[in-house]
Amino acid sequence: MTAIDTELAIRARDLRKEYGSAEGLVRAVNGVNIDIARGEALAIMGPSGCGKSTLLHLLGGLDRASGGELWMRDLRLDQMNEKQLAQLRRSEIGFVFQAFHLMDELTARENVELPVLLAGRPQSEARRRATELLGEVGLSDRADHLPSALSGGQRQRVAIARALANEPIVVLADEPTGNLDSAATLDVLELFQRIHTAGQTLVIVTHDERIAATADRLITMRDGAFVDETVLRGGTVGPLGAYLGLEG
Amino acid sequence: MSRFVLILRLAARDFRRRRGEAAMLLVVIAAATTALTLGLVLRGVTTQPYEQTRQLTAGPDAVATAFPYHSGLPSNPTGLAKVSPIAQAPDVRASSGPFPVAFPVMTAHGHTDAVLAEGRSSSAALVDQPKLTQGSWVRPGGVVVERSFADALGIHVGDQVILNGRKFHVAGIAVTAALPTSGLGFLEASSRWPNPGLVWLSKAAARSMATRAQPLGYILDVKLAQPAEAESFANRYTASGNYRNNTGTPYVMPWQAISQQDGLLMRTDQKILLIGSWLLGLLAVGSLAILVGGRMAEQRRRVGLLKAVGATPSFVASVLLAEYLGIALAAAALGLFLGRLVAPLLTSPSTAMLGTAGAPQFTVETAAIVLLAAVIVAGLATVVPALRAARTSTVDALADSSSPPKRRSWLVTRSARLPVSMLLAVRVGARRPRRVLLNVLSIAVTVSGIAALLFARATIAASQFGSDTSGSANFNQFDVGFVSKTAREDQVLLIVSILLVALAAVNAVFITRATVQDSQHTSAIMRALGVEPGQLTAGLSVAQVLPAFAGALIGIPGGFALFTLANQGGGASQPPAWWLIAVVAATVIVIAGLTSIPASWGARRPVAEILQAEAS
Amino acid sequence: MKQEVILALLAKEPSHGYQLRGRLSQALGPLGDVLNGGQVYVTLSRLEKAGLVFSERTPGLPDRPDRRMFELTALGQERVSEWLTEVSWPKPDLAEFHLKLIAAASAGLADPMAIIDAQRRDLLRRLREAQLAAIAEPRGSDGSLLLEGIVLRLQADLRWLEACQASWTVRRSQS
Repeated sequence: MTAIDTELAIRARDLRKEYGSAEGLVRAVNGVNIDIARGEALAIMGPSGCGKSTLLHLLGGLDRASGGELWMRDLRLDQMNEKQLAQLRRSEIGFVFQAFHLMDELTARENVELPVLLAGRPQSEARRRATELLGEVGLSDRADHLPSALSGGQRQRVAIARALANEPIVVLADEPTGNLDSAATLDVLELFQRIHTAGQTLVIVTHDERIAATADRLITMRDGAFVDETVLRGGTVGPLGAYLGLEG
Repeated sequence: MSRFVLILRLAARDFRRRRGEAAMLLVVIAAATTALTLGLVLRGVTTQPYEQTRQLTAGPDAVATAFPYHSGLPSNPTGLAKVSPIAQAPDVRASSGPFPVAFPVMTAHGHTDAVLAEGRSSSAALVDQPKLTQGSWVRPGGVVVERSFADALGIHVGDQVILNGRKFHVAGIAVTAALPTSGLGFLEASSRWPNPGLVWLSKAAARSMATRAQPLGYILDVKLAQPAEAESFANRYTASGNYRNNTGTPYVMPWQAISQQDGLLMRTDQKILLIGSWLLGLLAVGSLAILVGGRMAEQRRRVGLLKAVGATPSFVASVLLAEYLGIALAAAALGLFLGRLVAPLLTSPSTAMLGTAGAPQFTVETAAIVLLAAVIVAGLATVVPALRAARTSTVDALADSSSPPKRRSWLVTRSARLPVSMLLAVRVGARRPRRVLLNVLSIAVTVSGIAALLFARATIAASQFGSDTSGSANFNQFDVGFVSKTAREDQVLLIVSILLVALAAVNAVFITRATVQDSQHTSAIMRALGVEPGQLTAGLSVAQVLPAFAGALIGIPGGFALFTLANQGGGASQPPAWWLIAVVAATVIVIAGLTSIPASWGARRPVAEILQAEAS
Repeated sequence: MKQEVILALLAKEPSHGYQLRGRLSQALGPLGDVLNGGQVYVTLSRLEKAGLVFSERTPGLPDRPDRRMFELTALGQERVSEWLTEVSWPKPDLAEFHLKLIAAASAGLADPMAIIDAQRRDLLRRLREAQLAAIAEPRGSDGSLLLEGIVLRLQADLRWLEACQASWTVRRSQS
């Protein structure tokens, strides 16, 4: 499995994550094979405890697999040490969390600057990048607000801007709209749609069909394994109105 | 009744659920109470040993002496005639002596110099019968050596000593309350007999050592009807009319003066101990502040839960109190036990005194004060969160929204230019400035203590060529007093330093742990954003090391001030600069080492787990 | 579409056919795309025949259906009021799909799970289209509210399918 398709952003083979031992053994991720193309938006669904978040953490190098192979482009994650994984997260991966996980004491702009600074780049560059990204997510006028002064949807948009700060290979989102009302959800989805259109690879874990349906491809997980895969992109189901019986 | 049981059960459950926390709490309170116990024990250390020896040896209320100032008849009959009548004075209730005193040159273990040799009969004296701590009383050919003198020269029972060329066996080792021990004796003001060691031997042997050049002296020990009046008695019978002026014959010294001079010996030690006990107390308060503060933050959620199911604020307070009181009392008991164990180490340097110091000074009062302190700590730890619980809404408490960290724009802006670890350190510190301050203070207190001890050590070293009591130069090559004194002070310095360092180390670990816990969420985010575990460990550690460095810098002048204050204007000598630099360097290294343990523990916890827990 | 919808849209004021169309497509958002002009005029002419509306030629314009001005008759007014007080709701026909599964399983003609999967894919694609349309729609518009309703219904259907899937998984393992 050394020949890596350069069109792939992520490739996993027989990926496993186990907790506990003997009788208490939990197979959170049980032999997952996955190929995620560059620029693809992939959704992973499944009931609570199906292992979807664990899989996302494995893909993002936040957690280490118990076995299997995991590639990000031509980088082999399962053979990296903690330090290398950290460097990978810094430069190649952007995380978006349900709870936003912004730094309370930093303004929106400073939050977005942070990954750039952590990557060791100069303050001026960080500032430039943050301003640009906050403009893209439509929060230029909120740049100097603390997260506490922002709505949930705005916070998540700041978090998305932060995830994009270092131009990652992939953005990994864990229930990104779980804490949002429907209007804010639409804003966040629109933003995802936009960065997807711009060519960003996206992996979204969710239990909400509405979020999942916007992806190119939907994978359903149960008990740590993939049980279904649906390609949603392409192939039309006819005009929307048809579903309402408006033609009649 | 069922309410009471419920309170106890809730307290016990929480206790069991967080055994680690409870153990930490126990350790810190125990360390603080140990320090407190020692501080209390040390206070009585100067007077009591003398008191005890005085009791055990039927110590005199006054000592009348007739020491020769000129050559003359070896038996010095004029001296005897001047001192003998004092035994018949109206106030005298009992007396022993006059005993003949010779001033032979003694050779033992390679040392040679004059000693004070008091002639005694083999039967016990009514007043001032030295108490044997080893061996047997004087006999022909056998001498008894005063204990601190014996300790200083390393003399044991059975050893051989040479007095004016004659061989004697050491029959015993004893202590007395009739002479200030080891060194700065009452002979001190006399330039002829500076700080001699003391031995007892048979009267015949004493007489045989007298020469025309060095005639006998006489010592008369008396008990008075009113011991409290000993000073006026001494003035009445001293040739000069004032016992502080030792220029004629006879010369009478009251027991108070002996006690005080004995105390002078202890004074430098006492200064060190005093400084030490203040500092230990300060550090103990510091650790408790960190601990109680940390616990209170943790209790917020639990308090919210209890309120949500209908517990009244007073019930919540009871649960908290039950929990803390249990831990605090257990810790106090442990602290008392440890204090009792360590105290003798501190007080035993006064080997001239029979008192094993530690045990008898360990009074009910001490125990009561320590236990009270523990109860106050438990009370404080209860009252603050209980009051807060009564005030804050249940919903807020449940959400566990601890007060959001203050934003410090300039720090954020400045730190943006720093390397990653420093950036983390500054921002972590900026989140909880009060804790940083506490950290600085804790280290400043510790380093002040150590620096004060170094100044003390340097001052002692400088004063070896002079007395710190009268200031008169009475250097003597065989200055036993100073030999033992500096050794003793070194020991006290060492023990106090160890205690300070131990407590400061506990504090440092606690502050780091609190910081790690507090910044757990931040750390997890930082790691998700790609900060390496090493960078994070370094950042968390530097967040502690920077304040430690500041504290150490403050501590050096602080130590000087502290010593000057304790020395009451006695002046201080500067220790070598590299000592002070070494202290600062060592502080930074030790703190870096200590904090890297909890910091790396915090930096290596699985990120996913923390973020997951935060989200739910 | 019910005739009453067109009727009610005329209640405000007499309108041209094209105005009605505009109002409809604004309210429906992207869903209005399926409407063609003819549909509205066919409905209007039916309503006119039933005596619920009447129309007159606008002076100076050629006599074409989209240039005529339509207005409610008294009967039409009455019909609108009646319609507004009616309680009606589109009935989701789940029974058909439910029976399909049972029939397929009992006759052994097809695997119910395969039927569920196919249906689920279809619903997911519909949901995708509706959701993407909702994202594209300006917030707060009439169209977006309607789309939200469609999205939520599709989501409910998908959840029911999930329940079907769970149930048939158990049945299959028991048989």
